[in-house]
Amino acid sequence: MGVGLAVLWTLLLALAGSALVAAIEPHRLGHGNEPGPAAELRTLPWRRSRRPDRWLHGAAPVVALIALAWAVLILPFGRELIGADLGIGLFYFLVVVDILLLAVALGGWGADTADAVECCYRVIAQLVAYVVPLGLAVIGPAMMARSLSTVDIVEAQARAGLWYVVAQPLGFALFVAAGLMQSYRAPFLEPFAQRLQQAMLASYAPPLRALWRVALSGLLFVVAAMGATLFLGGYAGPWLPGWAWMLLKTLAMIVLMLGLGRCFALRSSAQMLALSWKLLIPLGLLNVLVVGALILLGVGQGAFR
Amino acid sequence: MSTALLQWLAFALFAAIAIAGALGMATTMSMFRSGVFLMASFVGVAGLFVLLLADLLAWLQVMMYVGGMLVMILFMVLFSHDPGGAMMSEMPGLRGPERFFSLGLRAPSHEGGGSDHGGHAMPQMDMSMTTPLRRFAVVLAALAFVALAALLLLRPAWRQLDAMPAADSAHRVGELLMGKYMAAFEGAGLLILLGIFGSVYLARPSAHPGSAARERLQAAAADAPVDVAEAGDPRELQR
Repeated sequence: MGVGLAVLWTLLLALAGSALVAAIEPHRLGHGNEPGPAAELRTLPWRRSRRPDRWLHGAAPVVALIALAWAVLILPFGRELIGADLGIGLFYFLVVVDILLLAVALGGWGADTADAVECCYRVIAQLVAYVVPLGLAVIGPAMMARSLSTVDIVEAQARAGLWYVVAQPLGFALFVAAGLMQSYRAPFLEPFAQRLQQAMLASYAPPLRALWRVALSGLLFVVAAMGATLFLGGYAGPWLPGWAWMLLKTLAMIVLMLGLGRCFALRSSAQMLALSWKLLIPLGLLNVLVVGALILLGVGQGAFR
Repeated sequence: MSTALLQWLAFALFAAIAIAGALGMATTMSMFRSGVFLMASFVGVAGLFVLLLADLLAWLQVMMYVGGMLVMILFMVLFSHDPGGAMMSEMPGLRGPERFFSLGLRAPSHEGGGSDHGGHAMPQMDMSMTTPLRRFAVVLAALAFVALAALLLLRPAWRQLDAMPAADSAHRVGELLMGKYMAAFEGAGLLILLGIFGSVYLARPSAHPGSAARERLQAAAADAPVDVAEAGDPRELQR
């Protein structure tokens, strides 16, 4: 794709993806317009900031949208239907989604009320919780496909005739758990709990709040699409065109993640950190070991050798 | 536009981001902004890495500094007196970059000039708010710049390659780390692991009285300061 076409594609896909998530998700993130407690919170005088840091506060939603568009860039909807097939696509994705977290931190600090700053603190704690298990989960597909490029990973699964969710069920489970943390969805939504979320988002005027809503809905979309690419064979599939398969699989990932997330009690930031460092990281290391052994046994290599 | 011109434009853009970020980091009155400006500066440097066909290095740089700096900012906020810079930015006599990079930190009511509670507009001057070594620091920075520029001008002739390096930089880096530099790579990993062990050991629950125990002791000390101070462990009462 040319540069201009790629920019247009990423913007459209980011918007479409977040619209898709917003349509599915029953209790939306970033939804601060309900009557009742939310409106009440906003009018309480001590919830208002006297000294917002206007640079950081204003920059935050724009940074969030840029990060979302950057993340969409490497989602493959077909062998050619991708913004840019980077050689280090998977690693790039992990980095770029962290920038969205940076945006939330900027907004929380910039709003300068107690609850919004707490949102900023908790979101950074969540980064410390999810980033290592997520890395250990996505390393498995990269090892089996011998590439960090998202297109190569899809092609390797098609060539081997094996979705990596079959070869690496543990890695997939880790990805779902870490992905829920990364997208601040159901059991792990402490930084966006009702009170904190409204403190952060209510400090924005409606147009900017809409930007936030796009970014936070789109976040789940990109994480789910990445899961579909890594573990569910991406755009490869019979009968239907590639983009339809990718869309279906992404949809399935979104439903799976949201559904599974609702089966568990909400976790606090401290519980999230404990879960991550005491359970998920050891499991992730085990997963890397198992995947290495499987590769030596020739699983998932197909006609590659 | 030709590729060479585009390259120069990209270089100028990223270099400007790097320099402006560094200047903002050093001059803004807000600690939080300072950390964010440092991140911006490193993002500019990452752009320069991309221009040098080292995309893996570029994104590693972004990852380390976005994630790492965010955590570091938390600790800065924890330990500094005025992390948001709201008070410092109201100091009189801010000029040049210090003034520019601290814009938007003041409360809106002070900007209009007609301050309704003038007593608060000028907070008590704290000695920690002044920077008496500023001139010295500027001279030092200028000298460092001259030294670096001299190194660049007086360098030995660098070898120039005709061939472009292979595009897959991740592969090359991986080969080097797992081949030529494996001992150093694994050694660094071992050192980091030892560091983690050390910090876990220092932070083990029994090393210091917990906050609940501390509160109990403080309450007891407030009731009967002399008796408890004599009976209890003096280290636990320092706070």
